[in-house]
Parts: sequence; C-alpha cells; structure tokens
Amino acid sequence: MDLNIKNLSVTIEEKKIIENLNIDIEAKNLVGIIGPNGSGKSTLLKTIYRVLKYNEGSIYINGKDIKVMSLRETAKEMAVVAQHNEQEFDFNVYDMVLIGRSPHKKFLERDSRDDYEIVDEALEKVDMLAYKERKYNSLSGGEKQRIILARALAQQTNCLILDEPTNHLDIKYQFQFMNIAKNLDITVIAAIHDLNIASLYCDEIYALKDGKIVKSGSPTDIFTEKLIYDLYEVESRIIKEDGKINILYKPY
Amino acid sequence: MIRDKKYIIISVLLIALLMLSIVLSIGFGSMDIPIKDIYATIMNKMFNLGDISRVKQSTIDIVWLIRLPRTLLALAIGMGLSVTGIIMQSIVKNSLADPYILGVSSGASFGATLAIMLGVGVSLGSNYIGIAAFIGAFITSILVILLSNIGGRSSSTKLLLAGMAVSSIASAFSNLIIYLADNKDGIRTITYWMMGSLAGASWDNIKILIPIVFLSTLFFMTQYRVLNLMLLGDETATTLGMDLYKYRLLYLVVAALNVGFAVYAAGVIGFIGLIIPHIVRIVVGIDHKKTILISGLTGSIFLIWMDVLARTIKPGSEVPIGILVSIIGAPTFIYLMISKNYNFGGTK
Repeated sequence: MDLNIKNLSVTIEEKKIIENLNIDIEAKNLVGIIGPNGSGKSTLLKTIYRVLKYNEGSIYINGKDIKVMSLRETAKEMAVVAQHNEQEFDFNVYDMVLIGRSPHKKFLERDSRDDYEIVDEALEKVDMLAYKERKYNSLSGGEKQRIILARALAQQTNCLILDEPTNHLDIKYQFQFMNIAKNLDITVIAAIHDLNIASLYCDEIYALKDGKIVKSGSPTDIFTEKLIYDLYEVESRIIKEDGKINILYKPY
Repeated sequence: MIRDKKYIIISVLLIALLMLSIVLSIGFGSMDIPIKDIYATIMNKMFNLGDISRVKQSTIDIVWLIRLPRTLLALAIGMGLSVTGIIMQSIVKNSLADPYILGVSSGASFGATLAIMLGVGVSLGSNYIGIAAFIGAFITSILVILLSNIGGRSSSTKLLLAGMAVSSIASAFSNLIIYLADNKDGIRTITYWMMGSLAGASWDNIKILIPIVFLSTLFFMTQYRVLNLMLLGDETATTLGMDLYKYRLLYLVVAALNVGFAVYAAGVIGFIGLIIPHIVRIVVGIDHKKTILISGLTGSIFLIWMDVLARTIKPGSEVPIGILVSIIGAPTFIYLMISKNYNFGGTK
C-alpha cells in the first residue's frame, strides 16, 4: 500500500501538534518514525489510522483521499497494533483474533471456514497457536502484544501500523516482534523509541521533532551524532558494522 | 467447531427447558391444575387443536386468562431485562451496569410517584401508574443520552456519569413528593410497586411486550460483532472499521424501549439484568454471538420460576418478585463466582 501525506497539520486543543508535514511511503517498505516524547509520533499515526481528525492537508491511500473512504474501507487497507490493550472484559485468545475479521464481514454474515483458517494462520505466524483457548488477560505483556499483532494480521491488510509496539517488551520479544513485522512483506509504519531497533529493521526513517520532520532517509543516511543530539539532547557515538549502525550512548 | 457445538447444545436445551417451564409453571398457584388440562387448553386456544370439552370452563379461564399471560409476561420481562443488561454493560463498558443504569428505575419511580401520590395521568386508564412509569423511564433515558452528548460525543464514562446524575435528581424529586404528600397508603403502594410484580399480566400487555422483546433480542443477536467491538473500546473499533457512536445511540433507544415497557407491565424488578449476564458469561464466555440468546433464555426461565415461587410461597397472597429474585439469585451468583473463579468478565 502506498501512503502519501501532503501538508498535514493537526491541532489538538488549539495546540499545533503536527505542522505542515509531508511523507511519501512506498509499498512494502518498513518505515520508522522516531523522535522524542511529545514530538508528535503517536499523533501522526493516530491521524493516519483515523482516531484523530486533521485540520489541514490530505492523506492518500493508494492515491485515494481517506476523507472519502469509510472506516471499513480503511480498515481493509491498514491494521493497527497500539498500546491501549488492557481489557475490562476478558475474551478468549481465539475470539480476540477472530474480531480482526470484522471489517470483512457484511451485516448478518457468519464466520466461515476461511475465517477460522485465517485466524489459525495468524496465530501460527506469531507463534501463539497453542494459546488459542487461553483467556487474553491471563497472558504476559509480550504474549498479549503478539495476540494483538495476530488480530491485525487476521485483518489481511496491505499495511500495518505499529504505534510503539515494543514498549514493555523485553529484548527477546522486541526482536521477535520486529522480525515478524519485517517478514510480512507488506508496508509497515512504526513509531519506535529504540534507535538501534529502528536502525536494524527500517528501510526508511523519519525523524520528528515538534511536529515537523527534521530529517528522513535510510538508517545509514540519517543517523549521526548530531541528529541524535538535536532530537534527544543525548551525546552518542555511532559505530558502523557490516553496513548496519550501532548507537552507543554517552557516558560509554 | 467444538466451541460452537457447545453453544448450540446449550441453546437447544434451554429452549426445551423454557417450553417445559411454560407448561409446568401454569400448574402452580392457589389452585393446582393438572398438566394434561394445561396442555389441552394451550393447544386448543392457540393452535385450535384437540378437544377441551372435558376440561372445566373455570380451569380453562384460569389457564388462558390468568396464568398463561402471567407466565408469558415473566418470559418476556426475564428475557428483556437480561438482554438489555448485557447491552448496557457493553455500551458503558462496565460489568456493573444493569438495565436501569441510565436512571431508568429512578425515572420510572418518579413517574409512578407522580401517578400514585398526585394522581397524574388517572385519565389514562387502569394501568395509569404503569404508563406514567413508562413515560418517566423513557424521558430519563433520552435525557441521559442527550446530556452525555453535550460538549462532544458521548463516551462510556460520560453516559455512566450522566445516568447517575439524572438518577439522583429523579430520586430526589420522588422523595420530595413522598415527603410532602404525607400519604401512608401511597408510600406503601410505591414501595410495593418498586419491588415489582407480575400480577398485572394480561393479554393486552403481552401483545405489546412480547413483540418488542423478541424483535429487539433478535436484533441484538445480529449485532454481535459491533457489541464485541464495544468491549474493546472506541479506538480499537475505529481501527477495525467501526464507528461505535451511532450504534451506541441506536442500542440505547432500543434498550430504553424494552426497559420502559417492562417497567410499565411489572414495575422495577431489580438484579436480574445484572446477574443473568454474569451467570451466562461464567458458562459460555463473553462473546456476544453466544451470550445474547443464552441470557435471554436463562432470564426467561429464571423469572418464570421466581414468579411461581412469588405466588405459591405464601398461600393467599403474593411475595414481591423483586425480593425473591435477589434472595435466590444472589447466593446462586456467589456460589458460581466462587466455584468457577469468575472475575466479572475482567482481569484477575
């Protein structure tokens, strides 16, 4: 899925969070959004996945303005893994993933054998098939996040939006989670806090500060000691190895 | 799939049990009636089958004009309150919600208080108290929905808070009227009415209530996907292609209609709309594909037998059904809660 954002501005309670932003994302790229807290990463993603309204500019999915698309249409194009996943009511893991089929279902249409297969495949992909009869709330943080990823996969979209998906996960699960996302062969847009994770997995990175794009490009292009200082006010040293970069923070 | 098989078996068993309960329950009362007479009367009157010349006319009248309407009223109200209980819990995303959460019971009792104490609506016919209660209930529900939409779209929390606020106002005014009126008989009537009774059953109110309850239960059964999304919240629902706002409004109006008519026919029967959804969730989980029908059937059966108790436990008079629902329902619930390690649909 192609995503084009033109001159986007988002104002929340009279404060401009995103200002005149332009982003062009090519299909099947894994695109990272980095930036300090309050830089507008989440706001940007929430605007793309339509939880927040925008004031100016336009967002196009495959050349189509999202303002003329129904929520159901966009839900068939992009799936979201976010952090707000604590549940008051406790679903079965299987039912939780099955809900991912909702956008494809017409009024009165029952779940079909295909849906069950899709759910099994999605659970298989995140390596959680053995947990399908468990209660969602009985899972650990990493397991919950993988179930939400499976639900997003069951949506069968061409784009996946990850809103700081690996927060609260330990390193093993962070890698596991990003590996799954990387191997999907669809467009992935992810807000990422860990710069080393971003540099390892992203094809392209947008660095955001105060609602504006400071720099964009491939990880090797954009990561410099200066950029990291500009964004986070942290001293660092960058080591290049096998074409990948590693960021060491001071004091080191 | 195995899970669906279990659901289908439970549903079929409950439907059979409901049919059986309808026939059996009619036998109980101040005068016991044999099952074969009940069966013959129902078959003849409803489907024009068989011969009832050997059955005494007085028996036919008791079955057809008194007991059957009463059983059907219990069926309708048990189903209506249990289903709206689930709907309300999903709409406000809170497992403590019940059908009366939007101030419906306070609104209804305010209407009833006006009717009983001040004679408002006497010209509306014999069930003017019920009509006044219905109007009170419906107005409060609409008021709560409107209030929760002020300053942006309504959310679960705003609905809950608006419900509480409107409810307090309605109760305060009811109490003020009761306090100023100084009418001991009136107070007794209101108290009795607040505990609920199915004694007012007649074919006239069955004809209104049964279609409303059945149609709205069927309607909500088709809405299971939206209801499941409601439990996940607005943001997740948006990413799954659903704007919950208009559905919430629609469901609230349908629920208010259900509860309003239940109140009109039988006063306020508490607790059933809270407890049946939870009992059902203990057994089949929280998926609305299963909970709606099963709650409806369970609620019907439960209320039918509570009403049998209400009219037989103390010969010559009736115990208010609301009392029995709580006395028997609550310990059952506590037992299930302990034995199944239930977390009210939520986290441990």
